[in-house]
Amino acid sequence: MGELKKVLKLRTIISTSAGMAIATSCYLAGIQVATILVGELAWISILLAGFLCLLSSMCFSELTSLYPTAAGIKLYIQHAFNERTSIIIGMFYVVLGIAMVGAESYLLASVLSGTFVLFDPFYDKLFWMLAFILLVVFINLRGVYITGVMQDILTYVMVGFMIAVSVYTFATHEVNLAVAVQNTKFTLSSVIQAAGVGVFLYVGYEWVAPLAEETTDYRLIGKGMMWAIGLLSVTYALFITAMYTGLTREQLAGGTPIPHIVFGGNLFGTAGTVTFIGMSILASVTSFNSGLLNTSRFSYAMGRDNVLPRIFSRLHPKYATPWVAILFLGALAIAISLATLLTGKYLFLILMAAALECFIYVVAALCVIRLRRKNPDTVRAFKIPLGYTVPVFVIIVFTGLMIGIFADVSRDYAGNEIFRNYWVAVIMGAFMILTALYAIVVVPFLKKKAEERSRARVKRRPGRADA
Amino acid sequence: MATSQEILEALADYQVQCNENKRLRKMQRDWSKLLHFTADDTKDEFTMDVVKGEIVSFRAGAEGAPDIIVSAKSEDLCDMFWGDLNPSQKYLQGEIRVKASQEDVVRLDAITMIIWPDA
Repeated sequence: MGELKKVLKLRTIISTSAGMAIATSCYLAGIQVATILVGELAWISILLAGFLCLLSSMCFSELTSLYPTAAGIKLYIQHAFNERTSIIIGMFYVVLGIAMVGAESYLLASVLSGTFVLFDPFYDKLFWMLAFILLVVFINLRGVYITGVMQDILTYVMVGFMIAVSVYTFATHEVNLAVAVQNTKFTLSSVIQAAGVGVFLYVGYEWVAPLAEETTDYRLIGKGMMWAIGLLSVTYALFITAMYTGLTREQLAGGTPIPHIVFGGNLFGTAGTVTFIGMSILASVTSFNSGLLNTSRFSYAMGRDNVLPRIFSRLHPKYATPWVAILFLGALAIAISLATLLTGKYLFLILMAAALECFIYVVAALCVIRLRRKNPDTVRAFKIPLGYTVPVFVIIVFTGLMIGIFADVSRDYAGNEIFRNYWVAVIMGAFMILTALYAIVVVPFLKKKAEERSRARVKRRPGRADA
Repeated sequence: MATSQEILEALADYQVQCNENKRLRKMQRDWSKLLHFTADDTKDEFTMDVVKGEIVSFRAGAEGAPDIIVSAKSEDLCDMFWGDLNPSQKYLQGEIRVKASQEDVVRLDAITMIIWPDA
């Protein structure tokens, strides 16, 4: 078999994986980590979350080496369990993943409405939210792809910028670690609790797996994910600690949804504010764009597989993009964004995304174990060392983190209760029941209809007309 | 198992169906790719040249550096070219494997979907 004319390099796999994780909402999630713990020590939980995500990435690496395809997530759940389970979990993961856009668009709108005043705060946010989502929907409809080189530039510039700003902050501000470790909030329990939220900082790194089809060596995807998590760990650990240090007590207590913009202003005045706004827009657009690209392709494939109504497999007559899937997901993103705007509960979505990631890491680890038992002799380009140790550890730890998220109470910096997190579990559970009902009731109906259509169709291959 | 000759006959029909479909030609007007198809069971290989959405040639053997590589059982390849098989379903089952960018995977599937929507 020949080799592809164009293949992705490790550099681009790392930048794509890391680029999907870097978003505007990460700064707020970082501050949430700092709030649960002690700000100056936030890096401990961030590194811990990174290490745990690194272990989970080993599971994705082994699974990708078995199923190096864009349909990977559905495929390995299907082979490990069954098709119905893969549909339930696949849809749960994809649709709930889009919910994160609610938080992302709200936060980006907060960034922009605070700088460019058009009407009043509410309508400005509404305007920017819609503008952001519609822009990304338009980019996806037109089939404009971010090239590998562009992704490299965007990600590495963002990472380099964050590290440089962190170093500058540490050089100009005092960070008193000795005092921080004496704080009563610095306990093992709060370190672990903050790490649970810290998982959010890495959300989406695994979405690089569909790029396996564009590589020569499937192990590159695994390597890329691990390097990306390493890069993100260092960058976030430095930046979140620096940002906390660079904000005043009043600013932290104010509960701003845009701490990085305030931080940029504190450091460099207007130039800092403008630069951070630019970085925010880049981070939001690239991560949502990749997210919509992946989820719309997934929905398209589900439509072609008669799991979703056939309308989802419609392609744009000019750009060959799955326009129905893109518009549906865009509308869903707008609906969630509006709900976020009206309720102001963006933190709710951030926690839901963190819990969803914990859930999917557990599923990936379970798949590794099941597939090793079912197909022990299948050759894997990458196999996690130490037998079942890592997958079992991932299952235990991420189940614990997920329960930890649900059991906690979200508070602002001043310690006031915002909401009880079990509501996150209630919403996720309700959605899981809906997807299960869909898979049990609707999917068999759609499959039956497709089967009837297929049977009614005369086979074209000579000698198969009566088949 | 489908023979190399059977697959070539299927490819000939596929070429006619694709090139005569105006909707498909419009959609794929900017799509120029070199494709390789590999039958896993018989090890037969085929090359297809698409220029601006038109299949200009196909032949047995793998020639040139491809943009897209499709691997499947010979029977599945044959059925796919005759339009008797939904390639997306086989792809989601892992029975058809594609090495290409995500955009090209969708564009490849679009051919079957537009010519034979009920496949």
